[in-house]
Amino acid sequence: MKKLLKHLSPLAPDDSGACGVLYELGGITVICDAGGCAGNVCGFDEPRWHEKKAALFSAGLRDMDAILGRDDQLVAKLADICGQINAEFTAIIGTPVPAVIATDFHALERMSERKTGLPCIALPTDGTRLYDYGESMAYEALFRRFATETLPVKPKKLGILGMTPLNTGLTRADALITAMQAQGWEEVVCFGMDSGLAEIRKASECAHILVISPSGVKAAAYLQKTFGTPFTADYPLLPAEVITQAEALRGKRVLIVHEQFAANALRKHLTDCTCKCATWFLLERQFAEAGDVRIAEEQQLIDAAADCDVVIADERFRRVLRGFAGQWISFPHYAVSGAAGQTA
Amino acid sequence: MAQTAYYITAAELAARGQADIPHELLSAKHFIYSSPATLDFNSPGAKGFGVKRAGLVIPESVMLLVAPGCCGRNTALLDELGYSERFFYLMLDDTDIVTGRYLTKIPKACAEIAAELDKKPSAIMICVTCVDALLGTDMERVCRSSTEAAGVPAVPAYMYALTREKRLPPMALARKSIYSLLEKQPRKSDECAIMGYFSALEDGCEIYDLLRGAGIRKIHEIGRCQTFAEYREISRANFSIVLNAEARYAAQDMEKNLGIPFIELVRLFRIDKIRNQYRGLGQAIGVTFDDAPYYEEAAAAIAALKQQYGDLHFAVGECMNADSFELALALTEYGFHVSEIYGTIGERNFIFLKKLAELSPETRIFSNLSPTMLNYCRETEIDAVIGADAMYYHPELPGVHFQGEEQPFGYRGVTLLFTQLAEAMRLREGGSV
Repeated sequence: MKKLLKHLSPLAPDDSGACGVLYELGGITVICDAGGCAGNVCGFDEPRWHEKKAALFSAGLRDMDAILGRDDQLVAKLADICGQINAEFTAIIGTPVPAVIATDFHALERMSERKTGLPCIALPTDGTRLYDYGESMAYEALFRRFATETLPVKPKKLGILGMTPLNTGLTRADALITAMQAQGWEEVVCFGMDSGLAEIRKASECAHILVISPSGVKAAAYLQKTFGTPFTADYPLLPAEVITQAEALRGKRVLIVHEQFAANALRKHLTDCTCKCATWFLLERQFAEAGDVRIAEEQQLIDAAADCDVVIADERFRRVLRGFAGQWISFPHYAVSGAAGQTA
Repeated sequence: MAQTAYYITAAELAARGQADIPHELLSAKHFIYSSPATLDFNSPGAKGFGVKRAGLVIPESVMLLVAPGCCGRNTALLDELGYSERFFYLMLDDTDIVTGRYLTKIPKACAEIAAELDKKPSAIMICVTCVDALLGTDMERVCRSSTEAAGVPAVPAYMYALTREKRLPPMALARKSIYSLLEKQPRKSDECAIMGYFSALEDGCEIYDLLRGAGIRKIHEIGRCQTFAEYREISRANFSIVLNAEARYAAQDMEKNLGIPFIELVRLFRIDKIRNQYRGLGQAIGVTFDDAPYYEEAAAAIAALKQQYGDLHFAVGECMNADSFELALALTEYGFHVSEIYGTIGERNFIFLKKLAELSPETRIFSNLSPTMLNYCRETEIDAVIGADAMYYHPELPGVHFQGEEQPFGYRGVTLLFTQLAEAMRLREGGSV
């Protein structure tokens, strides 16, 4: 049956992705839920929760709040908290509850700004889509809202989009920054990881944008259109042991399952192999090769692996491919196995 | 702009009264901080016995979670506890949650699951979430259709976080569901059931000895049932002992449907009150318990801690197997000090707070769920802490989680707590913690 998961547990949802982008930006983020969605984000999808403090809260909705559409009370609570915690902006993240009652997120945004005096971003995620959809929505909203000033371009400044724990399993940006500095960039900023809202405001200073996940493409396109900042897609964070095992393959039919840019980057390390990349997440056609596929169901993964000798994927997918007799190379993806997989 | 965690002293709170609890202590009045200290508490479905895991306490059952992906995301945490083969997910998309069209797919999904498993499950728990709470889904009807389609009993599990403060909150509904498959059969006068927790009482709990001494030969607990056949034997109980108020509704159902009466007891840490409670239980079932040895053992554990470490100052949390305020009162009555409590005050435990205010008026009461806890830092004297949340706030202090799956109760609970505290103090003195 379609949409019936018999072997996998659900992958990281859109609300987790949106929260991950906003996490370090110094705002007050409110998940518009009853408590469980915030618990999922804080207790599972956000490894920084135990390392870096952030003002991320649940709206604590109750049935009558939803039934009566008490947006005014939500905004009043938001205003209360703005008096208790310093913040540069506020954000409201959607879940299934506002989706069912068709909450007007634009109205929430306006009401909140009027009441708190702070800029507000309201993102209509609904928990049914996957994390990169939520990340994409958050990146685009952030840059459209805050990256508006055209500043002199710094020729040696690189901006990186997509650096989130759900994409990379990392909670700090230093490894990527060091790697990029080794390539000649003097100033490297990973938007939303080890950097705050100020860097987003100064995004037009960047000479180039590196996008490491399809979730950053829309924001990168906005920066290109608005400031003329060029961007490229790549994933410079491939685990060394995965690269070593991939480079050793010869004459194999290989299936790589990951987020698209990570899979593409690993494909470049294969020699004399046929390869297709598959992803459960966003598949940007302009960065795909013939045969690359987007997977939405367990059976599609089984079909994709059927004619392959090697599967390179997160361990969690082994459950779906129990009958697969070929070689398995583990390529962790936090948005798949999450805290349970301890891939960070 | 306030940059400190909100607190109120016990005296101030008692003076305000139950009708005037400050908004900062009422979760419905502010946003909720899912602090790392309280994730197990505030994340239904996570590692503890949330609705999902509780639903699977019926032996040989499986669960179908019918929800958007976000609701089932953290279920993977239960894999390490051996549940990976027992969860299935029917994922909803945005059209589903607007139209409710997925309801017709649930029986088909149940049939597919039952057909695919090597061994037919004893039941399929159909877990629904806030979406169905808002849509008003008739789960009884869905379960009837699913039972028919799968040839296996289908039972609802309501993970309705939206109704957490209602008369029948999710965990009370879960308890009703897990006993709902019991069928009426002749009761046996020498059998009883202990209800309230999803896992069993700690093996050394005196209640087993006391009941056996009273002629009870078989004590049923759902947490000890290994097979569905054992589970079905629960309805042979002559009476039930309810140890958690959230199981009262399940016990009422069993009384009505199976003819099994029940008695309610409370988990306490004041040994004189424990003694009174056992006296009451004895009167109800017509026996006199000899609980003196257990009382003495618990009293000795308390005295040993006091003798060795003096009048310790404690911080008491709520992520543990005790009521924060009753335990704080017990500690105070035993001559210790309670500097801080991180807890949830309400109708159930305000009476303990009032007594605590008389003995320890300056005790500071914080709400774990208040966003201001983001600013928490210690300002009082604390020597040791109790509870996973208190340990999070004070990682440098000796403490005990006291949050194990084996449930402490009665004198044995007191003995275990004070023994563990003494051990934590000893280890810290030796520099091993």
